[in-house]
Amino acid sequence: MEQLMMSSGPHIHSKDNSRRIMLDVILALLPAAIAGVVIFGVKETLPILLTCVIAAVLSEFLFNLITKKKQTVGDLSAVVTGLLLALNLSTNVLWWQAALGSVFAIVLVKCLFGGIGRNFANPAITARIFLLMAFTSKVAGGVLPDGTTGATPLDLIGTGAQLPTLLEMFLGQRGGAIGETCILALLLGFAYLLIRKVIRWEIPVIFMGTVFVLSLLFSGFSFETALYELLSGGLVLGAVFMATDYTTTPITLRARMWFALGCGLITFVIRWFCALPEGVSYSILCMNILSPWLEKWTRRKPLGGV
Amino acid sequence: MSLKKSISSLKLPHYKSTAGMAAVRMPIPKEVLIPLSPMNAHHATMSEPIVQVGDHVTVGQMIAREKDRGASHIHASVSGTVTGIEPYAMGNASGTAIRIESDGKMEKCPDLKIPQPANLDEFLQCVRDSGVVGLGGAAYPVWAKLSAAQKGHISTVLINGAECEPFITADHRVMLEHGDLIQKGIELLKQFLGSEEFIIGIEENKPDAIAQLTERFKDDPAVKIMPLSSVYPQGAKQVLLYNATGKVVEKGQRLASLGVIIINVSSLVKMAEYFVTGMPMVERIITVDGSAVKEPKNLIVPIGVSVRDVVEACGGLKEEPGKILFGGAMMGKPQESLDAHIMKATNAVVIMNRKEALKTEPSPCIHCGRCVAVCPLGLNPTAFARAMELEDPAAKAALLQKEQVKVCMQCGCCSYVCPAHRPLAENNNAGIGFLRKWEKEHPEGGK
Ligand code: SF4
Ligand code: SF4
Repeated sequence: MEQLMMSSGPHIHSKDNSRRIMLDVILALLPAAIAGVVIFGVKETLPILLTCVIAAVLSEFLFNLITKKKQTVGDLSAVVTGLLLALNLSTNVLWWQAALGSVFAIVLVKCLFGGIGRNFANPAITARIFLLMAFTSKVAGGVLPDGTTGATPLDLIGTGAQLPTLLEMFLGQRGGAIGETCILALLLGFAYLLIRKVIRWEIPVIFMGTVFVLSLLFSGFSFETALYELLSGGLVLGAVFMATDYTTTPITLRARMWFALGCGLITFVIRWFCALPEGVSYSILCMNILSPWLEKWTRRKPLGGV
Repeated sequence: MSLKKSISSLKLPHYKSTAGMAAVRMPIPKEVLIPLSPMNAHHATMSEPIVQVGDHVTVGQMIAREKDRGASHIHASVSGTVTGIEPYAMGNASGTAIRIESDGKMEKCPDLKIPQPANLDEFLQCVRDSGVVGLGGAAYPVWAKLSAAQKGHISTVLINGAECEPFITADHRVMLEHGDLIQKGIELLKQFLGSEEFIIGIEENKPDAIAQLTERFKDDPAVKIMPLSSVYPQGAKQVLLYNATGKVVEKGQRLASLGVIIINVSSLVKMAEYFVTGMPMVERIITVDGSAVKEPKNLIVPIGVSVRDVVEACGGLKEEPGKILFGGAMMGKPQESLDAHIMKATNAVVIMNRKEALKTEPSPCIHCGRCVAVCPLGLNPTAFARAMELEDPAAKAALLQKEQVKVCMQCGCCSYVCPAHRPLAENNNAGIGFLRKWEKEHPEGGK
């Protein structure tokens, strides 16, 4: 008889694994990516999507190779980061800028902090902010579906200019980043993640709900304004896919709900009171930094402990 | 409907295909090797042999006497000749075991009498003589547990029939087949402990047991049958206590100080049996199951029989074994070979095939939070993992203390759900071991 296994319990395991979770996130992002390609054009979007993903995977592969670490590209998390970054960029971005963003996200934000599960800031968001600061208008400046450069709805709110209708907003017929405009596609992805139990509903709902409610209050109960706020910018994309990132949010659900509330608050404040048109990325980054404290502040006593 | 906060738990596959199989007695083995401890643990508490090699012994005759409160009297489970008193490995500790060659007669010890206790002290002495220990796995002597009644009133007895571990159906069979002994046990505790409330907690996946016992106790207002949801670890002390009574044993507190004791249903039945037959604990029901076993069964086995004989009684193995467990699929203890022997607290033998026994290589933690969300006690296993990576022993101990690793009950839920397949429960166990040792070496707290 061969040697018996002596490993300690539990001796059975759920069927989940990390790679499958990442694959689910990629699948959930596909509707938004496809919608982006349809709305903004194959030639305009596909090179950016591919560049970001390839650059992300390649830089993680090379980083592990050079630092003699165990190869981790197989867990697919670099694909998620690359894809998310691309969906957060507008078609104005140049290919080398997109690639630079991916390298920045993977090497500086993720790998140098110890790789998957260890980075404190969301790589895709941090890279987007980096690109915004380095090449401002190219990255953020809204591109209208017809390819002309124009203001995003967030720029237009309050100026009295002609806004897209709410239906156009919902379907994505408006200016913005590749993956953020088609709300329908994003909600499909959201539903898929919920069904697969990859994320819980609380974070996106609290995040978006906070922005919606505050907009409602501050606009003197104008449902239209509040809905525009909800559907515009990168709110849905950020709330569903980036504020739910495992690594850069607190580990307990309780703290994650406060995280979502904080994101909503900051997003609203930036949008309403600051000169900046968009606050989703900044709010998530801010809350990333606060995460360890949220965990600490919301800690409960274990059963039978102190 | 209560508004109390619910405890996290896990929906597990049950694998309880043996639930419908009445317990059958296995053939008389040629030989038994009775470990002088109720279970294999890190700190095996031993009993002292009182027979010598060559002695003739009969079933129920005491062959080893308890040395301390943690141990129990050990009785011969077959009649025959003592052929050896030998060293026996018990998990990480080493112990002793008594080998008896059976004469095949199962001759009963002539000195056995039906006990007639008159008061609590005598009752406890009888329970002590019976050698019955906690049969759910804890293996703590039942008399020592009941002796809490000498210090303070025990108003509530919580009878644990949850049996939440996958594979095991031994308690389920006991509840179906020995309702009379459950009743007898409750009467004894009523009489001598004076307890007013008896709650039998049973998971909903055993509707027949719930129905039968509800019927049996329908005229006894002191006994309440409480159906519990079939989630793991419903049978764990804190979880059962909270779900059945809403109470919590706080740090530094003992369960009995709440006026409650928890007793496993099989232990209660074994104890009651002694007061009916006078036969101390020499046999028990175990579940034999797992992918490598040809005919899974519930078996009545003499204590000390080898796994080899048990497997034989179940038609042998149909596949190469990969892992042999004493206990269920979550908290079962792996055994080194088929030459392990059944102890008093062994409630199941689960033999997995090689494929099932293989573990997936762990990958890095992705911080998904599932381990934290699932922990019934509200602990954070990732913090223990972080602590165990620290170099500085003082910092390590401080973080383990702060995160209260010692509260962890090793239920394994965290490891089960981890998508990165991290050995969290194992790491927690290592953390507890480290902290115990460190605290012993730094009694002042090392602050
Ligand atoms: S093994 Fe410990 S930490 Fe893990 S779920 Fe069970 S009690 Fe919680
Ligand atoms: S379940 Fe595993 S991967 Fe998830 S946080 Fe816990 S240890 Fe990390």
